Amino acid sequence: MAGSRLEKIGSIYSRTSGLIRSGALSWEDRPLWYDVYEAFPPKEEPKFDRPAPNMRLKTIFYKEDKARALFHQNNRQIGAGVLTNNTTKSLTQRFIETYEKLEEQTQGSESMESLYKQAIDMLNRERNTRQTSEGSEEVSLSNAFKKAQKTLVQQEDAPKINVKVSDIFKD
Amino acid sequence: MISTKLMQVKSLCSYTCLRKLSAVSPKEKQVTKEDPVLNHPDYFNVHNLFTVKDLFDARVHYGHRDGSLDERMLPYVYGSRLGHVIFDLDKTAEYLRMALNITAHVAYRDGLILLFYRGSQNSHIVEKTAKDCGEFAHTRFWRGGIFTNANKQFGAITRLPDLCIFFNTLNNVLTQHTAIRDSAKMSIATIGVVDSNCNPNLITYPVPGNDDSPTAVELYCKLFKQAILRGKEKRKEHESHK
Repeated sequence: MAGSRLEKIGSIYSRTSGLIRSGALSWEDRPLWYDVYEAFPPKEEPKFDRPAPNMRLKTIFYKEDKARALFHQNNRQIGAGVLTNNTTKSLTQRFIETYEKLEEQTQGSESMESLYKQAIDMLNRERNTRQTSEGSEEVSLSNAFKKAQKTLVQQEDAPKINVKVSDIFKD
Repeated sequence: MISTKLMQVKSLCSYTCLRKLSAVSPKEKQVTKEDPVLNHPDYFNVHNLFTVKDLFDARVHYGHRDGSLDERMLPYVYGSRLGHVIFDLDKTAEYLRMALNITAHVAYRDGLILLFYRGSQNSHIVEKTAKDCGEFAHTRFWRGGIFTNANKQFGAITRLPDLCIFFNTLNNVLTQHTAIRDSAKMSIATIGVVDSNCNPNLITYPVPGNDDSPTAVELYCKLFKQAILRGKEKRKEHESHK
């Protein structure tokens, strides 16, 4: 079957239709995709030398990025988050939410720094109330250690059973 | 290697029926223009296979760092978020729907479809997809001449695939997959998922999107598998009516 291997000239469609027009390739021997390509041509012709468009890569920024930058500047270590968790909000998200709420309330009369301080205070208060309500359920290494020590003491207090292993295997 | 061997076997058994299907005389040239399957904008209903939200959840919008951006990808890109390229998912959806439609049409015409992926992390799922829909996969090192020197390499007249689908188009971070060039040489239509550091020029139907994340590759595999199966189903339906 006739074919053109000059992939740098034209597209696969233009080369094949050129061969069909010149009679080198018969209409019956056209490739299977030929009709489909004619019915659904691609948006841009797939040419090797298609030049790159003269466009600039735009940067994506949001209005709340200023508050986010301020938060991250003052808090370098904010711990790890789980990216697959869509149900709970991250610390940064919660900060931005409270910050925006405060900004709306004050209507731009306060500076960024004071808004930041107020938002951090609110978040801290929220965290304290949550800790007291949850009580000792918080998981931490020191808590686990304390719990283990408590059970150890309880076990020591419990009446000991006098069983000697050597007695069991005596006879 | 196994996939190309299989290609030979399939070529022998389906060649005659293919001839019968695509044998159209010049007089019938007009008939193909009025083909109801081709004239329908979305005959296989591939537009409802996914939503933009699905693409977002599968992390298709993540590109590479903007330093590695290929300038030819700029029209598909939404922008750069703190140094990372983000794809415009509306455009991705448009291109992906087009690619799925083409895939379904080629499958409907009993075309031979070959899936590609380079990279050990996702290659198994691509091979499994090909197996599930009765098509072929090539996810290993590409030995030159598999397309361009096929008749010599396999010692028989070999039927080449009619459509190559690349789930990634790079061999490593720098070089393009040789099969893309070879497909263009042998005039085989290609569909390729192009990331922000790829060159979309030689690919007939490019799909801009993330090609590294397992979730994204899983989504592509699922979608193309469904498109192929829909095409084959319609073909069976129409054959039984004749």
